[in-house]
Amino acid sequence: MAFKEFMKELNGARIEGELIKTLFYSLLTSFAFLAILYFLKFRYITDFIGKYGVSLFFSALSYALVVPAIKQVKAYKEMPCMSGMMVGMTTGMIFGFLPGFFVASTNGMFVGSVFGMVLGIIFGIYNGKCCGIMGTMEGIMAGFMGGLMGAMTAFMLLNDNLKAISVIVFIISAFIVFGLNYMIYKEMKEVTNHKKQDNLFSIVITFILIAITTWFIVFGPRSALFQ
Amino acid sequence: MKNTTILLFLGVIVLVIGGFVFASSTKPNGNTITGNAVNNGEIQRITLSTKNYNYYPDTIKVKAGQPVSISLDEKVSGCLRSFTLRDLGISKYLKTAQDTLDFTPTQKGTFKFSCSMGMGYGTLIVE
Repeated sequence: MAFKEFMKELNGARIEGELIKTLFYSLLTSFAFLAILYFLKFRYITDFIGKYGVSLFFSALSYALVVPAIKQVKAYKEMPCMSGMMVGMTTGMIFGFLPGFFVASTNGMFVGSVFGMVLGIIFGIYNGKCCGIMGTMEGIMAGFMGGLMGAMTAFMLLNDNLKAISVIVFIISAFIVFGLNYMIYKEMKEVTNHKKQDNLFSIVITFILIAITTWFIVFGPRSALFQ
Repeated sequence: MKNTTILLFLGVIVLVIGGFVFASSTKPNGNTITGNAVNNGEIQRITLSTKNYNYYPDTIKVKAGQPVSISLDEKVSGCLRSFTLRDLGISKYLKTAQDTLDFTPTQKGTFKFSCSMGMGYGTLIVE
C-alpha cells in the first residue's frame, strides 16, 4: 500500500515528487559538462572513449542516482535513529563503492580506494548526521568499506569482463538507492512540513563531483600498472 | 509533463549514450601476442613484461624436457609479480627483475599461468 502511495508521490507535490526532476538535472549537468570538455579537449586524446568512456559514463549515472537521495534526506533534516543509520550506511556505501569502482578501473586500486573512501565518508557523514552520532558513525564506516570494496572489485576484474560487471554493479546500486528513497518516504510520510531545496544545490554538487572525477580519471595519478 | 514520463525519456537517452560508449570502447585484451623462449644453451630463458594490464607476451612456447627460467622485468608490478603456474603446481613471488622461476616441463601440452589473484594471465605451450 505504502509502495503504491510512494509511486504516486513521485509525481506529487512532496519532496518525493522532486526526485526524478533532480535526477534529470544532475544527469543533464554531467552530460553537458562531459560533452563540452569532449569537444574542446578530450577528442584530441587518442582513443578517449575507449579508455575512459565507460568509467565517465557510469560516474555521471552514479551521481545522478545518489544526488536525489541527498536532497530527500536533507528535506527531512531529522530522522529516527534506525532510519538515520540506514541512510548513513546506504549513502556511505554507495557513494564509496561506485566512484571507487570507476576510478580504480582507470587509475588503479590505490587512487580508486582513496577517492572512494573520501567521497563515501564525506557523504556518509553529510547524510548520516540526520540522526546524530549513530548515523554519522555508520556513514563513516560504510564510506570506508565501500571505497575499498569498490576499488578492489574493479581492480580484480580488470581482465575479466569489467564492463559487464560495471553494468551489473550499477543496476544493483540503482535498486538499493530506490529502496532507500522508498524507505525514507515510508518512515517520514507523516511529516508534512519538510523543507524543499532548489535544484541549484543539486546542479552545483553534481558539477563539483563530476569535475573532480573527470580530472582524476583523465589526468589524475595512476598506479604503475596503468602508466 | 509527468515525472515518470521524464524518467522514461531519461532511460531512453541513457541507453542511447551508453550504447554509443560501449560500442566505441575497445577490448583491452583482444589480441594475443606470442613470444617464444630464448634458447640460451640448455636453459630456455623468458622475460615477461606488462601491457594492457596483463602479462606481455601472454603466450609462451617452450620445449619439453629442457629447463625453463622465467623472470619479470621492472614494469611488472603488484600481484602480477606473484607468478603462478597452477596446472604444474608452481608458484613464486619474483620480487625483482633478477629473480627467476626455474622448472623443467616434462609433459607436453597447454597450461595457463596467472598472477596469484588471477588478474593477469596467459598460456604456456610446451611442445
